[in-house]
Amino acid sequence: MAGGAKAAAVAKKLTKSTKSKKGTRIHTKVHFYRTTTLSLARKPKYAPRSVPRKSTKHSHNVIKYPLTTESSMKLIEDSNTLVFIVEIKANKRQIKQAVKDLYQIECDKVNTLITPRGLKKAYVRLSKDYDALDVANRVGVI
Amino acid sequence: MVKAYELRGLPKEELLKTLGDLRKELSELHVAQVTGGAAAKIAKIKSVRKSIARVLTVHNQQQKEGIRKAAAGSKYISKDLRLKKTRAMRRALTKEQKAKKTLKQQKKDTHFPMRRYAVKA
Repeated sequence: MAGGAKAAAVAKKLTKSTKSKKGTRIHTKVHFYRTTTLSLARKPKYAPRSVPRKSTKHSHNVIKYPLTTESSMKLIEDSNTLVFIVEIKANKRQIKQAVKDLYQIECDKVNTLITPRGLKKAYVRLSKDYDALDVANRVGVI
Repeated sequence: MVKAYELRGLPKEELLKTLGDLRKELSELHVAQVTGGAAAKIAKIKSVRKSIARVLTVHNQQQKEGIRKAAAGSKYISKDLRLKKTRAMRRALTKEQKAKKTLKQQKKDTHFPMRRYAVKA
């Protein structure tokens, strides 16, 4: 009756369903939303660039030169403002910082415009404690 | 006007300090240019610009050299420090890979090399 024992073993295996019910989900909605999977942070084995790129936005690059036209002279005397020609890609915050670094002055506000010549002009209004006339003399504008 | 061979002996801080001084000088010269200053000042602009370039060149060369020295021997180095050559050459087989032979061929070469004979006159 060895065959009978073998048959009984096979029959036992067959009563357990071959497909497990673990993975089947019940979907109550039509949509399929992408699950969030594991995203690891980078751990580079070598630096992508051996030397990090140089920043080209330092103060000497931002401010090119001051303007010495008649109207800018008037602004120096009357409105306590200095007028600079400035790097075209500089923004007002960078201009403010650059003026502070180069000339040690605080400014109230900076107004900018792009001239038809393609240059950026910055009107830098100095704060009350600084005198534009003094700074202009110091820099050499007058 | 700075000379490159004088700059090469300087440490990094001194190089950066001369760079700052030169840049300040250049901005003063630009102011002189705008206010119609002396011709000597305006002529100096070119030499100051080139001096700035020289300082930056020496600084960058020294920096790259230092990094190369530090990275030498390590398993992974940045791509800009590796050989540039051409894209195809970087992907080509190495000399060792090209010279590899099958065991069968190695045996043949050892047992049956190309003989050279001399004819006795």
